[in-house]
Amino acid sequence: MAEKALARVTRLLGIVSVLQHQDEASFEELGERFGVSAEQIRSDVMLLFTTGKPGGMPDEYVDFDPDALDRGIARLWDAQGLTQVRLSAREAVALIASLGTLVASGAAPAAAEPALAKLRDAIGSEPIDVVTDARVDPARVQPVRDGVEQRRAVRLDYVDAQDRRSERVIEPHRLVAIDGVGYIECWCRRAGDYRTLRLDRIVGAELTDEPVTTPPAEGLGFSLEPRFDATVTVHRSARWALEAMPGAQVSDDGEDVTASFPVADADFTAGRLLAVGPALRAVAPEALADAVARHARAVLDAQVGTP
Amino acid sequence: MADATARLLNLIVALTDTGRRMTRETIRATVEGYDPVPQGADAEELSRSEAAFERMFERDKDALRSLGIPLRTIQDAVHGDDIGYRIDSADAALPALDLTAAELAVLSVAGAYWEDATLGDDARQALTKVASAASSRPTEGVLAAARTRGSERAVSVLLEARDERRAVTFDYSSTTSGLQRRTVQPWRLLTRSGVLYVQGLDTDRGAPRTFRLSRVQGRVRPVGDEGAYEIPPELPAAFSPEQGGTALVAIRPEAGHALRARGEAAGSVEGWDLVRVEFRHPDAVRDEVLALGGAARIVEPAALAEQVAEHARRALEVAGG
Repeated sequence: MAEKALARVTRLLGIVSVLQHQDEASFEELGERFGVSAEQIRSDVMLLFTTGKPGGMPDEYVDFDPDALDRGIARLWDAQGLTQVRLSAREAVALIASLGTLVASGAAPAAAEPALAKLRDAIGSEPIDVVTDARVDPARVQPVRDGVEQRRAVRLDYVDAQDRRSERVIEPHRLVAIDGVGYIECWCRRAGDYRTLRLDRIVGAELTDEPVTTPPAEGLGFSLEPRFDATVTVHRSARWALEAMPGAQVSDDGEDVTASFPVADADFTAGRLLAVGPALRAVAPEALADAVARHARAVLDAQVGTP
Repeated sequence: MADATARLLNLIVALTDTGRRMTRETIRATVEGYDPVPQGADAEELSRSEAAFERMFERDKDALRSLGIPLRTIQDAVHGDDIGYRIDSADAALPALDLTAAELAVLSVAGAYWEDATLGDDARQALTKVASAASSRPTEGVLAAARTRGSERAVSVLLEARDERRAVTFDYSSTTSGLQRRTVQPWRLLTRSGVLYVQGLDTDRGAPRTFRLSRVQGRVRPVGDEGAYEIPPELPAAFSPEQGGTALVAIRPEAGHALRARGEAAGSVEGWDLVRVEFRHPDAVRDEVLALGGAARIVEPAALAEQVAEHARRALEVAGG
């Protein structure tokens, strides 16, 4: 079954459902609600008109007020038992998992948690359950969310990927979750440039009275721009670690797995590669290999005192 | 496409709250969109037309399932092998979802999360349904966005297998036991901290296990018969707290801020601050200390300290040149 037919049936049932909740709706309003043109809604309504019970008598078809239709308004007279249907298992998973991820990343607006709760109430805990376990302390990030909504600058106490702690004032533009990690896209006044800062590295935040004056940058996670492409080979038991690298292209080669992926911050990537140290086979280019070696020596120095 | 859409709608209307079940024969003869049995056809034409109807009807049943409509099959008490179908609107209808405009807006952000085609389509379908049950319209300009580049191909196979109560098999790499073939009766999916898991009975081990989907390698395949198991009414906790524990970590001054924020100060030794950190899984602390690149070390437990050193040593062998 073509996906398109399913999408259209779902929208047609949605149109019926909306008209069961409210008296009437213009084609424009319905189009806006379902993300299609008013013209598409007109053609949807015409299709509904021809839907009816088997061997249909004239009164056994879905029926609309014909005068209203001429004015571009849908008013339902008879739905023949049609109404919107519950979420399928996959639909529930797709929506609940992404919403749960957004909440856990700390990037979700305040409305996300009640929305998640209402969805789970309506669907039940089957077939997916959300284990609440925020990566980011919501209270600590709250001033950043407030700053986004009220368009005010925020003073941040921030720890960067090299574990350097700094205080900076940012103009927050948008919260984003990329691969489950929450970031704030902002203008950093200290750097005088756009930055994408990880929410889980925020140690403290305080809302200021100063307004946001800079426009948001274009593009999602813009300052995560890659500096170079890395190629890393690991034993296949550590494949998951390479797949977790954003933008990774993974290919199998017998017992080994090779991935190439863009690297924005060699030190950060090196730190993550140490986690699969015993499975590591090859690291390129030299810039990344050097970072891994430097990291590994420093860890050994700290841990056992012999570099 | 318009034909398929119209036929599906007619089929839904025909089957919904029908006084009695409808058999395949009745559906074929009366529901608009199906070709009825051709008049005066010879045996070959009849069997070809019968096969074409069967294929179309099977596809439509799959479509109903994809839409989330539970199709009841009812056996006639008198004619045992004569299966009829019905949709009960009470099972099928979307429950009321009293979402505010802001909540609706957040859902549309969540719906754009999947880059993976299958889950992306599912999320859009879900949003259409949610939009038809909401009394408000989404507020403009939500200043949030979400994306994932991960693909969760396993999800649909797992859900289908779970629906059929059929076991699945897949290669799984775990940090403790390496890469192994697992056979699992899936009970449910879970999401924690943005990570998808499946919990089920690991039939080789005869015990419940929870698997992280991103560590499943290659394809998930259904194996064995349908209806092979039942999902226990009371599921055990998916994440056992037994693996958790406490580590004593030494951190250089002005470093390890994330660990400090989570842990409890426990004095200092030779210029290092001591912090006691609770962990859910030892790997998490190990990886965090490794990522700090020498600004932290594990004091206790000793096994974890040795793991940190071993990971660094092995990485250095490869990268050290």
